[in-house]
Amino acid sequence: MGIIGNIGHEARITARSLLDAASGMVEPSLRLGVTGLSRAGKTVFITSLVHALTVGARMPLFRAAGEGRIASARLAPQPDDAVPRFEIEKHLSAFTGAERHWPESTRRIAELRVVIDYQSQGFWGRQFGPSKLNLDIVDYPGEWLLDLGLMGKSFERWSSETVAQARIGARAAIAADWLEATAATDPGTRESEDVARRNAALFTSYLRSARDARHALSALPPGRFLMPGDLEGSPALTFAPLDVPADGTAPAGSIWALMGRRYDAYVQHVVRPFFRDHFARLDRQIVLVDALTALNAGPDAVMDLENALADVLTAFRHGGPSWLGVLRPRIDRLLFAATKADHLHHTSHDRLEAILAKLVERASVRAGAAGAMVDILALASVRATREGQVRRGGVEYPVIIGVPEAGEQAGDEIFDGEREMAFFPGDLPADPSQALAAGGFRGRLSGAEADMRFVNFRPPQIEPAPWGMRLPHIRLDRALEFLIGDALA
Amino acid sequence: MNTTRRPTTFHLDEAEIIEAAPVPDDLVLLNDPAALPPVPVEPKSSGRWKLGRIFWSGLGILGSMALGLAVTHLIEDLYARADWLGWAGLAVAGVTAVAGMGFVAREMLAIRRLAAIDDLRNDATEVLRTDELAGAKRIAERLTGLYAAVPETARGRSAVTRHAADIFDGSDLLRLSEREILAPLDAAAARAVAQAAQRVSIVTAVAPRAFIDIAVVAGVSISLIRRIATIYGARPGTLGFFTLLRHVMSHLAVTGGMAAGESMIDQVVGHGLAARISAKLGEGVINGILTARVGLAAMAVCRPLPFDAVRAPTVRDVAGRLFERAEKKTDG
Repeated sequence: MGIIGNIGHEARITARSLLDAASGMVEPSLRLGVTGLSRAGKTVFITSLVHALTVGARMPLFRAAGEGRIASARLAPQPDDAVPRFEIEKHLSAFTGAERHWPESTRRIAELRVVIDYQSQGFWGRQFGPSKLNLDIVDYPGEWLLDLGLMGKSFERWSSETVAQARIGARAAIAADWLEATAATDPGTRESEDVARRNAALFTSYLRSARDARHALSALPPGRFLMPGDLEGSPALTFAPLDVPADGTAPAGSIWALMGRRYDAYVQHVVRPFFRDHFARLDRQIVLVDALTALNAGPDAVMDLENALADVLTAFRHGGPSWLGVLRPRIDRLLFAATKADHLHHTSHDRLEAILAKLVERASVRAGAAGAMVDILALASVRATREGQVRRGGVEYPVIIGVPEAGEQAGDEIFDGEREMAFFPGDLPADPSQALAAGGFRGRLSGAEADMRFVNFRPPQIEPAPWGMRLPHIRLDRALEFLIGDALA
Repeated sequence: MNTTRRPTTFHLDEAEIIEAAPVPDDLVLLNDPAALPPVPVEPKSSGRWKLGRIFWSGLGILGSMALGLAVTHLIEDLYARADWLGWAGLAVAGVTAVAGMGFVAREMLAIRRLAAIDDLRNDATEVLRTDELAGAKRIAERLTGLYAAVPETARGRSAVTRHAADIFDGSDLLRLSEREILAPLDAAAARAVAQAAQRVSIVTAVAPRAFIDIAVVAGVSISLIRRIATIYGARPGTLGFFTLLRHVMSHLAVTGGMAAGESMIDQVVGHGLAARISAKLGEGVINGILTARVGLAAMAVCRPLPFDAVRAPTVRDVAGRLFERAEKKTDG
């Protein structure tokens, strides 16, 4: 690591950018970064977006499509031969097939290129006839995204932060075993593979249980501990934070030095290449945030989500277009999207957007100040519910109607995944800061007392149509217009 | 908002569920109304105007009484001369009265149409500000109703109806309606303005007398305003036309300073050469611009939605060709 590593890292990004710029003169292409922690809905978003583009679905607010200027959009071989292809057919059949389930969580990286043939509206565009835009999209396990926050941190700093964080709030109970082991490990003792393995195993199980739906915590790096991918069982993953001072130096031959070395190797050989290959050269970015799961769990989870997002987003470079962009492209449009907006009645979308705005306030202010365009919206890539109105006991409830997934629970009732139900999930707080304040509202841990309860729905029953299937969505067209609309103007 | 609502589950068979129910307004207005900027209130008409209105109404009543009396007298006189003459006079008077009532009804309908368009535009401006979905849906319905008989808008109307269920933001729905339904009408109106401006500039350039210029500008402007109103579905009658004319004039008065600042002056001064070489040609350009501005003001007044998703045409858009022509002539 260190300065040499940093310079090499930057130099490689610049070299790739120059190469991209050269090929971009022949064929303009746009790299769309779909960013989101695990379970935020990246795979479904990409699938729905690509499907909508390629079948020419109803997207009235996507101007180029609404004005009939898109001649066609098709899948094309991707530019990076070393990266697996995004299996859109498989994901699509997951939620449109007989089983109707959401795609499984992504275990490895995948890429897709969509070629859009369109006709420009501008003066020059009209002279040259139809134009072409390549849209490159990458899908990856959301857990890995957490690693981006590690790039600027030393082992000592990361250790002290992680240990301090594990000792407070809801984490203290989950992390008890690992904290005990850490307290028993003197950082100055001789290095030992056994200790390293034991601590790493306990640390991993702490991260895993913090992530499950009951706690729904988000800030849990390193991501490969949760989703190892091709590093399963590799020694690169046998390290754990130690209780060391943030500015200390490891004595030679100690367990501290061993852990620090492995942490550095992890950052150097796992995190940096991941960032360099897939995130350093983005033109547009959409950050998908599953705020509802966090809201379900309670204010602790929401605050944790805010921390995780702020940490991850510091890695990206946002800003307006500039000449230097050839050397180091910057993301000039950044969209924050609260996914699963179909789990709420549309009258609550404004409040959901307000909560999201609060959640990503730090990152959006920073990006806006750097000159990037920032927008916030609530979307559903695939809409699984419809809306209705219920009156009971003189109270009007705006409800959503859909089939909850098997095993989902509301009150005493456990759903079978077949029967359609109507839900009123509770009112979101009118003041968004209440959602992020300790004790601002009651989450799932309060049981029946909870202020909000969102259940997960099965994918919708999609009517087969002779002219091509259409996936219902909420504001997908608006998101697309914001992200790539100007490139097709 | 009701704070006592708890998360609740409803079985579809037990609960009284209205699907896709029209959303009550109090649920839609999620933004705190107090936080929104205040709506500008139109100045109330002063007492002087009320006095004037009483005077004119009084005069009108007196006039119609005099007319009624005169007709009654006339028919009595006709009867005195010969019975058949009396009957004929009565029949003519009856026909005249029926036609008069028809005329009044038509005028009132025309004024109502103008008022409906004004209402629509005011409501739309409001919805663009609040982003209220239910309001936007009502406006979209009114708009499709307004243009149900205009064939150019068939595609746009059906697109809006089809997409209305997929859109969740009021302002988005309005922008879509504007783009889909009004775009062909905007193009037709802009074409009408351009043609009128060109006609005026040519006639002015060749007309031998100044009063002919004035007559032509006035005549073309009046027919242009009427045409634009008809394009946007207002079809003003005689009285409605005067209301419209007043709106256009006040719109011009409000935007006039701005237009003179940005488009008139720089265009005209820039083409000072044209004016110096051929004064008549320069006058033609100026009169053309004047007509174009009247036309654009008429568009702004007659259009049922404010310009938002579609860029409002400028003098340069509709009268740009005038300058090119003038330049070519002076060069040649």
